[in-house]
Amino acid sequence: MKFDLDEDRALLKSSTRELLEKESPLADARGVMETSAEGFSKPLYAQLAELGYLGLALSEEEGGSGMGPIGLAAVLHEMGRVALPGPYLDEVLAAEALRGLEAPAAQQALRAVVGGEQQIVLARAESLSGIEPATPATRWQGGRVQGRKLFVPFGASADALLVTTAEGLVLVARPSAGWNAQPLQTLDHAQRFVEVALDAPGTLVADAASAQRRLEAVDRLAALGAAALLLGLMERALELSVAYLMERKAFGVPIGSFQALQHRAADCLLRVESSRSAVYRAAWALEHDPEAARLLVAVAKAYAGDAGRSVTGEAIQFFGGVGYTWEYDPHIYYKRTKTLEQFYGPTRAQLEAALQAAGI
Amino acid sequence: MDLRFTEEHERFRAELRGWLTRNLERPWIEELRDPANDEDSLFEKRRAWQHKLNEAGYLGMDWPKEWGGRGATAVEKAIFTEETYRLDTPPIPNVLGISLLGPALIHHGSEEQRRRFVPKMLSGEEIWCQGFSEPDAGSDLAALRTRAEADGEHFRLYGQKVWTTFGPWADWIFVLARTDAADRYGGISFFLVPLDQKGVEVRGIRQISGESEFGEVFFDGALARREHIVGRVGEGWRIAMTVLSYERGAMSLAYPAQYEGYLADVVEGCRENGTLERADVRERLGRLLVENEVMRANGLRNLAIIASGRTPGPEASIEKLYWSEYAKRLADTALDLLGPQAQLKVRAPHARHGMDWAYEALWCRAGTIYAGSSEIQRNIIAKRVLKLPVAG
Repeated sequence: MKFDLDEDRALLKSSTRELLEKESPLADARGVMETSAEGFSKPLYAQLAELGYLGLALSEEEGGSGMGPIGLAAVLHEMGRVALPGPYLDEVLAAEALRGLEAPAAQQALRAVVGGEQQIVLARAESLSGIEPATPATRWQGGRVQGRKLFVPFGASADALLVTTAEGLVLVARPSAGWNAQPLQTLDHAQRFVEVALDAPGTLVADAASAQRRLEAVDRLAALGAAALLLGLMERALELSVAYLMERKAFGVPIGSFQALQHRAADCLLRVESSRSAVYRAAWALEHDPEAARLLVAVAKAYAGDAGRSVTGEAIQFFGGVGYTWEYDPHIYYKRTKTLEQFYGPTRAQLEAALQAAGI
Repeated sequence: MDLRFTEEHERFRAELRGWLTRNLERPWIEELRDPANDEDSLFEKRRAWQHKLNEAGYLGMDWPKEWGGRGATAVEKAIFTEETYRLDTPPIPNVLGISLLGPALIHHGSEEQRRRFVPKMLSGEEIWCQGFSEPDAGSDLAALRTRAEADGEHFRLYGQKVWTTFGPWADWIFVLARTDAADRYGGISFFLVPLDQKGVEVRGIRQISGESEFGEVFFDGALARREHIVGRVGEGWRIAMTVLSYERGAMSLAYPAQYEGYLADVVEGCRENGTLERADVRERLGRLLVENEVMRANGLRNLAIIASGRTPGPEASIEKLYWSEYAKRLADTALDLLGPQAQLKVRAPHARHGMDWAYEALWCRAGTIYAGSSEIQRNIIAKRVLKLPVAG
């Protein structure tokens, strides 16, 4: 038995940390979140694509590097630590949706995402409550897609959208006039959701049945990926909290010497470490034990969502008044956590998925 | 990463399951339910089960064979506890002797002490209780005041120990006593003391469950022989602290297996009372399921660390904090979801068959107090892992 990453993936994780700490320190990323229209650094994403990050979980035959779900989790764990803005996970999920599809357009799109030539994301949501109808209202008829999609992540800058319709998965290229999109600002200012009204030509790349199979795989990877990001976010939020508890003095002593705060910090550590166990166990299962993965991925996402909410929320409280200021960092971690907790398979859905996987 | 058990582990598990299925007459809850049993007869059933386990070579799992152990790995030991918890086997009475004193004797005791005490401890012929805590030394154990006064070649004990599990049935007690009042840690020695002698009084303490599984022990000049000191005079604290670490990993899989069974009973109860499909019920069951699986993930990680020859650090405190706090949430939820039936005592009419929630709802309250309270575990995590400063 071994819990540690193997040599290749340990190296991947440490080199990712080095890269991100150099290329996307939070001080810089904050600028990107606040001022960039796209919501991410295009040069950095080009660099990530060039280094093969977009094909990590794909096999070598698929143009990937075969690092599998464990490698992907390790990378997302690091991206969470620096609160990397942008559609990295969304693009990985689009690639997952396109995997194994025979349509030439799908294969071409997969190569384009993995190579970084195109930014492609999924457009799925149609409901404001997060509870989606079994069949999308969006239709693909006569070669055209018609419908309205909500909460399309980083959709305004996308070169193509992979749209779920009643007929299946449809690839829609960005119209020359641009998307008919309006921003849906959420509490997380790093996120770029848009609502897109679609009435455009599109290519069906998967019929309804095969789309459903692909989307199940996408949902599983989304839950794992979001859980790994949550792990990185809460791990870093706790590190920042502990540093602040040591540095900030009240009544002549560091506030970290107060037991009331120590015990809450200890509970945070329990949640971070437990999330680590759950996330990597789920990643391992997705790679080696697909049957168990149904349960374990849902477990990891549900747990990391609750844990992240608690740990990043505590970070704001540990910082006190400045924790509620824009200037200090805790709110970034808290906001990113909210996005990951509620999208990418919300906690309620994961709890239900876990029960069903356990036969309950 | 590799979270699989090896073929050898799986073989061990299969053999063990076979043995348990053949030898376990009925789950422990059935014994508890049987009105023919009282506290004493239940204790004797536990002793008999321990004897059986020992004959089959399942006790002292990770001890050297020379001392009646099996020479097994930490993972096999964890599998053993997992399977026994899963099948609800009788809890063995010498649990503290075997988990704490045995390793202390093997690592720090004399050849003579090992020969004299280990076999009877394993067989259950002699029952041991633990004399560490005192009324004024619980979480702050080094504040203990029971003193050992030199009396010629030997010592005389004066003081009081408390929370001595199985005290009322025990034959011997292993005691931390002060041989030097001035030296907080270096003034503590580790004694083995027979309870059946003048100067010892054992009283049962009635617990909130109504039983008297533990008690208190009063020493007023009891004889503690020099040859029954483990290690040297003044080494007691160090020995006690190291033996507490030998149990690491032993329970890593057992609690998730046990609570999985408990949770299955809640699910079954909700199915019976028609609430299983209710959204609020499913959300609560879902959280318990998720948290139990995360406990198992922590356990597997913990074991993997031990199996690779490293010593887990904060994982032990996290594990204790996690399972004991979880047990309270589980019992509270069970009583909420199962309604009045779950409050029926095990022998009351209409009591549930699979699970004694009336007892568990009380017993779970002890878990966050004994063996280092939740507060102590949080102190350990805050200081040793997060390196937060000690209050000035």
